[in-house]
Amino acid sequence: MINPVFMIAIPLILAFLSLVAARIKKWLLLSGVLINIAILFFLEKGETVIGGFKPPFGINLILDNYSMVGLALAGLLLLAGVVLSLDKADKYSTVLLTALAGINGMLLTGDLFNLFIFMEITIISAYILSTAGKKPEYSFNYLVIGSIGSVFYLAGLVVFYSLTGTLNMADLAAQNLSMGTPELLVPLFLIFTAFAIEAKLIPFGGWVKGVYGNSNRLTGALFASVYASTVLFVFGRVFNEVFALSGAVQTIIVLIGVVTFAFGEAAAFRQVKMRRILLYSSIGQSGLAAALFALGLIFPAVLLVISNAVSKFIMFSITGKLREIYKTDDYTDLKGVFFSNKLTGIAFSISAMSLIGLPLFFGFYAKLNALTALFNGGNWFIPAVILLFAIVEGAYFIRLLIALWAPGKEGEIADKSHAVGEIRIFNIKKSILVFILSLVILAAGLIPDLAGKLISSDSGFMGGDGPAFTMSQLKGGE
Amino acid sequence: MIRLASLLLILIGLYGIFSSRNVIKILIGVNVMELGVNIFIISVGFFKGGIAPILTADSFSSAMKFVDPLAQAMVLTSIVIGLGITALGLVFARKIHAQYDTYDLGAIGGGKDD
Repeated sequence: MINPVFMIAIPLILAFLSLVAARIKKWLLLSGVLINIAILFFLEKGETVIGGFKPPFGINLILDNYSMVGLALAGLLLLAGVVLSLDKADKYSTVLLTALAGINGMLLTGDLFNLFIFMEITIISAYILSTAGKKPEYSFNYLVIGSIGSVFYLAGLVVFYSLTGTLNMADLAAQNLSMGTPELLVPLFLIFTAFAIEAKLIPFGGWVKGVYGNSNRLTGALFASVYASTVLFVFGRVFNEVFALSGAVQTIIVLIGVVTFAFGEAAAFRQVKMRRILLYSSIGQSGLAAALFALGLIFPAVLLVISNAVSKFIMFSITGKLREIYKTDDYTDLKGVFFSNKLTGIAFSISAMSLIGLPLFFGFYAKLNALTALFNGGNWFIPAVILLFAIVEGAYFIRLLIALWAPGKEGEIADKSHAVGEIRIFNIKKSILVFILSLVILAAGLIPDLAGKLISSDSGFMGGDGPAFTMSQLKGGE
Repeated sequence: MIRLASLLLILIGLYGIFSSRNVIKILIGVNVMELGVNIFIISVGFFKGGIAPILTADSFSSAMKFVDPLAQAMVLTSIVIGLGITALGLVFARKIHAQYDTYDLGAIGGGKDD
């Protein structure tokens, strides 16, 4: 059994080594992400005390089902990103290794101030990665907004510390603070703002357009999958386990999430640039996941985060590569680009259809679970919004897929001469890697109950909400 | 009193960030804000007549009136992080200047996407 602290220590050591031994930093990065996956299987579950001080006085790491899923998702997607774009990742080896340490720390830690430190490590690495877009003004913008968020977080945290005398998550939760009281509203709002900035919620997500919109195939894929899912996982823990939301505060946060979802999907509909479409869709999905987390529907939210992360990873990777080849990501200029890239095209299509929530794909299972859980809770307003904007989502993704698959105009017979080009998007090995990733979505969609079990185990997360909907219900088994 | 002063500093920093278009001035705003929150953290652990939380020959008992050392430890960490962010922000400022020959974000016009 391995102590979870190595999940943080090993990437950090390798990050320092990669500065000293710059010539082999590519291999250090690769071994770092591989070791990270390998030790996942041998980690010691439960609570780990750091430095011999018993919590709540010292810092502890918590490894439960929830953090395990987050670690596995972030680790696997980072590994895939590094392998897929090793030429670009080479330059950012040190940054990516530090980011890995920060992400693992964020997911593992059981202390709010410790969470602040790991969040800063992760965000600073994100600032640096965002410079790959060669638009320093957007990176600067991100840095300033991010710093405001961290100052707010710190201020909110200190108020909680002065009121309760503890920063330990479990200890804070045990005090059963009622979030409705006025003196807790301000610090709670401050902490929420910090998360809302990172989770791209309206009106705090102003940095996203510049950073995601100018990302390349490595950074876009990592931002939209690894970073986004990590932030949402931590959001879920903080606003369920540490601060139990209720009453008006809960309503406001849920409303912010739902409005973000509606705005994101509506804005994506109006775009013609593929990265813009994907970034607004990411904002929308993030809003929906945040709303579900705030309502305490952890299992459907986790499903949604996973389905979105894998799909967005594939789509951002392919879009970034397309932009590299054709110098544009306007889909009207990329007509029929999948015509001679069938494998990559199929992977992209599976991801898009899973995001829409078509049956047979994992996204369907995620959305169905969300809707069932919402209806079970007597909520009809949010399901109505989800279903309405699922149509919008379907419209713009199908429009995008048609443009990318079918060369020529409507009514013409599609053939190669109308297609934009016959350049291979990815070489054969990378195409297969992307394709296998998309098969995961398909497989998880075909046998969702197994996937759900793998994700939640039987007990569910954080004292129990398991799947609200299983396939056996569909067959009339229950 | 000291808490009010720290909150005022945070607000001054925020005002500086939102009212200025100059990259360097915005960074100064960020720094003022960070300073404000650092003083705020210290003020939480402080009380009048408290002494430094170090066991010496004069103060050897844990029943002495120590100020809260945890808040000071947090400030130390927060200062280091603030330094890192400022350094990175200045790197970005230099890059902006190298690319657009100006520190004024308004003159860049938000920048056109590629």
